[in-house]
Amino acid sequence: MTSPRLPRVYLPLRQLQDRIATGLITAGGIGVLLAILAIGVFLAWETLPLLALGDTFALSKLSPLAWGTLKAAIAAMLFATPIALGAAIYSALFMSARLRSRLKPALELMEAVPGVVVGFIAGLVLAPWVERHLASTLLLIVWLPFSAILAGALWHLAAARLRRRLPHSWAGLWLIPWLVCMVAVALWLAPWLEHHLLGGDLRRLLDQQYGMDYATRNALIVGIAMGFAVIPSIYALAEDALADIPPTLMEGAQALGASRWQALWKVALPTAGPGIFSAVMIGAGRAVGETMIVLMASGNTALFSASPFEGLRSLSAAIAIELPEASPGGLTYHLLILAALSLFLFTFLVNTLAEVVRQRLRRRYHRLGGRP
Amino acid sequence: MLAPLTSAQSSQTPVITFAPEQCCLSINQFHLAYAGKPALRDLTLDVPRHRVTAFIGPSGCGKSTLLRAINRLHDLNESVSHRGYIALEGQDIHAPQMNVTELRRRVGMVFQTPNPFPMSIYENVAFGLRLQRRLPKRKRDDIIEWALTSAALWDEVKDRLHRSAWQLSGGQQQRLVIARTLAVQPDVLLLDEPASALDPISTLKIEELIRNLKSQLTLVLVTHNMQQAARVSDYTAFLQNGELVEFGLTDQVFTNPRLQRTENYITGRMT
Amino acid sequence: MKPLSEQSKRRVNWLNDGLWPWLCAACVALSLLMLAALLTLLATRGLGHFWPATLEEVTLTSGDIVIGQPVRETPLPLNAGMERLYFTGNRDINGANWRWIAVDDISAQTTPNDLIRLERTPWGDFIGRLVAVESDGQRLTGQAAWDYITTALAQPASQQGSSDLLLITADGHALRQPLSNVSHFQAPNAMSWGQKVTAWGQNVWRFLSEGPRAANTGGGVWPAIFGTVLMVILMSVIVTPFGVLAAIYLNEIAHQNRLTHLVRIGVRNLAGVPSIVYGVFGLGVFVYGIGGSIDNWFFSDELPSPTFGTGGLLWASLTLALLTLPVVIVATEEGLARIPDAQREGAVALGATRLEMLTRVVLPMATPAMLTGVILAVARAAGEVAPLMLVGVAKLAPQMPLDGEFPYLHLERKFMHLGYHLFDTAFHGEDVQAAIPLVYATALLLVLIVLVLNLTAIFLRHYLRRQRGNEC
Ligand SMILES: Nc1ncnc2c1ncn2[C@@H]1O[C@H](COP(=O)(O)OP(=O)(O)O)[C@@H](O)[C@H]1O
Ligand SMILES: [Mg+2]
Repeated sequence: MTSPRLPRVYLPLRQLQDRIATGLITAGGIGVLLAILAIGVFLAWETLPLLALGDTFALSKLSPLAWGTLKAAIAAMLFATPIALGAAIYSALFMSARLRSRLKPALELMEAVPGVVVGFIAGLVLAPWVERHLASTLLLIVWLPFSAILAGALWHLAAARLRRRLPHSWAGLWLIPWLVCMVAVALWLAPWLEHHLLGGDLRRLLDQQYGMDYATRNALIVGIAMGFAVIPSIYALAEDALADIPPTLMEGAQALGASRWQALWKVALPTAGPGIFSAVMIGAGRAVGETMIVLMASGNTALFSASPFEGLRSLSAAIAIELPEASPGGLTYHLLILAALSLFLFTFLVNTLAEVVRQRLRRRYHRLGGRP
Repeated sequence: MLAPLTSAQSSQTPVITFAPEQCCLSINQFHLAYAGKPALRDLTLDVPRHRVTAFIGPSGCGKSTLLRAINRLHDLNESVSHRGYIALEGQDIHAPQMNVTELRRRVGMVFQTPNPFPMSIYENVAFGLRLQRRLPKRKRDDIIEWALTSAALWDEVKDRLHRSAWQLSGGQQQRLVIARTLAVQPDVLLLDEPASALDPISTLKIEELIRNLKSQLTLVLVTHNMQQAARVSDYTAFLQNGELVEFGLTDQVFTNPRLQRTENYITGRMT
Repeated sequence: MKPLSEQSKRRVNWLNDGLWPWLCAACVALSLLMLAALLTLLATRGLGHFWPATLEEVTLTSGDIVIGQPVRETPLPLNAGMERLYFTGNRDINGANWRWIAVDDISAQTTPNDLIRLERTPWGDFIGRLVAVESDGQRLTGQAAWDYITTALAQPASQQGSSDLLLITADGHALRQPLSNVSHFQAPNAMSWGQKVTAWGQNVWRFLSEGPRAANTGGGVWPAIFGTVLMVILMSVIVTPFGVLAAIYLNEIAHQNRLTHLVRIGVRNLAGVPSIVYGVFGLGVFVYGIGGSIDNWFFSDELPSPTFGTGGLLWASLTLALLTLPVVIVATEEGLARIPDAQREGAVALGATRLEMLTRVVLPMATPAMLTGVILAVARAAGEVAPLMLVGVAKLAPQMPLDGEFPYLHLERKFMHLGYHLFDTAFHGEDVQAAIPLVYATALLLVLIVLVLNLTAIFLRHYLRRQRGNEC
């Protein structure tokens, strides 16, 4: 069978198109990357006029805000880090694969809840509730870990059949109703405890005995709300780091007779340590920059106070409130841009550090024979 | 014991040569390095027209590298440097007036793992045609039928031309890739271990296809399977460490190799 | 001695090895619980508000009669029993919409069927009884009055004619209310279940399709939905081509060296830069810089009142496009990197130029990844509020950014946004108490939009992975 004749090709036009397209893509790509770079350049350029004023002035203006940012971030990290890391350890090492593949999208959705919604719930629902039930809130913080341990102890004592029905690998799910019951118990107990142990109202006690003011919207609320927002990002990265530990490593340790606890402390955490560190760093970066939650849940009072029951004002919230009113070129304008620059630099550095650490870790896993 | 002998003989490699008018590809003093690490060293050989030439050799000896060089696929990789000369029908393929796109149309390439595009069978074969000047649909259908028939695939797929190519079996996919290449009517077809990922029956089909195709074009076959080279090729070149060791008629290379190195490799693998 | 130490060691082991995983499991449970609680709270409060609530007529021990909708109960200080909050409406008569009543003071509590609730344009809701309707000198009472109101309200406002409702409040205060000011009429206690469901559906629809009324305490959020959607569409129109272009450049054209690697890390990290920083950039560069220059050149006769030199739709879209650029770039790059080189080589070996290889093989294969990126970008942009506060969102935009007036799309206009509307209503409203149910509904709507977008992205990614699995 002879081949049908193929007409002559027409090349120059195709090649011209190719050249032009390559040029355009290159120009566009570099342009986009430069536009991104322009953010840093712009912020730095606009803070230059402040140099003329000397830094003490800027410092005195911005330091309460910086303190507020730090306080909010610390509060959020105190709340989020243990929960996120605990969840990551559980889901990487113990959870059933089926539940795990469902849990990750669920927590991704948690990350997607807009800050303004979280802030609204925190500022208008949670804050007044906590103000009325301060003792219950504090009790809950102690009571919930205890109730988890209680569940574990009961489980170990329970009959084997029940244990099979409620396996530990699904505990993340069936502990939810248990926690709900425990919250109910705590709420029921708290007023009674408050009455008998503290002799009345905890808030009055704080005020009279320790001279602590209580603001409705305070660092505690910010911590809980912003903690809620950063749990998913810490969880996702830490879980990746833990789940990617080459399985041979953990099995090797347990084959040598190490308990799960020892395997976790001696093998898993040291190996995945950098990944967990970078997860926490990225969480901290998010907490420092988050605006709406702090704006809505913090009361926005620029105070120098370490009390968790007092309000604060963060850099980001100050920018959001004051910048639209500041006249361009004025002093406040430049100061607020300095605030934005410091946020930019801080988060950029933290994220770069985290990324570098993460890549190191990935290479290390690769060497150890895990997934690439 | 063998070492001095080999190095002494490497300057006078037993290489068969052809008259220029019989030559389709001629490779002259070709040298190629990946990021300074040489993969082909001063390779010189001619590939005869309308014959099947097999390249054999231990893995990592540079067979794939050579095929990719003929197709100038190394242009995509900045770390590759080369010197020397490869000519297709007497034209230097690296010459400035040589159009690389046209060169790649004239030199078809089939890879080790089948790589059909995620399109229908029809679209896969039409891919190369659509790049060229617009064809009337009738004409295009004719060429596609011809290409699939030449690749011995037409009967199997003629009822499902518009199904996804990824639903075909591995052997069918490889033949589809060959058909896709044939459709743009290349002068040379380079096959890089085309059957290494396939089952024995598919392998036989591909081998038969190769034998049938040599009336239409020049074929270069890389294989690590000695019997396959013996079954389908007319000439065989043995490469080692990026160097050409021996090149001659297939019968002669397999039954009566000139060099001890060749014989060691062939017998070592065959037993 | 020995067995005892064995035993104690076992116990320690049991404590170490048995209980701490439960703490970790509880962390997962707690996270899920918090998420579920948040969503449930939003769903119940947000949707429950539209249910036609029963009105109560309460007789107090003092003899006063109050009609209202019970909202919630809280304990009084010093264990003095409970206190209940009623929404009583009638702000024009009582001066307030709300009334706290101690539960102990209630002597009788009924739910008569003839109690009505009106939505009016000035003064907000009226709650009380209908006495009669006066229409063109005619006086209708009883069922005829009800029928008249129902038909009149179904017609457009211009054809309603002039008629007045004669109303009476709980404490006997009579009131004449022009029907033209009434937008909704309801007698919730007389409604059957089916009617209530229909009314609920209508209320939800009105929430979605109407503009805000009475300082955001009534009406809907349509302009905010419209503004959000328009802004997000504009943003994706800007971000998609540029993000894809940058990703193609980085992955397919640029030399893969140290610099490309650094740029890639940089782009990735920009996704973690706080959104407010982008807002500052947008304000300084887009609004004051570019917008100011445009005003100087083209709109100088309108100065000093700015046209483009103030926040607006275009600047907001551009700012959010910049903000979501890393998301699109990263997702597209991942998609491109996942395409095996064999596909590219296959195309090139058939004589395709790089452009042809990209457009015919690589980009179609990377489409789901790009789509995922764009959807994630849209989800992020829809929920983002902080940068918008700097570059163009408005409490109440007098004009829609898209209308029948040339040039139809007004890029310089301010617009409303669901997230900002929520923030503003909840924190700067006049009667926050009355606006809260609508804030819940707005929050629910926003969360739903964002979650649906994210779910789509998750499913797309899942589909992508499965497809990749087939291919291997
Ligand atoms: N892309 C590449 N970059 C660097 N080195 C390569 C690359 N491809 C092949 N090589 C090296 O070149 C040599 C020849 O490889 P190849 O041509 O694939 O061998 P064969 O196909 O004969 O098994 C090997 O040593 C291999 O490691
Ligand atoms: Mg090879």
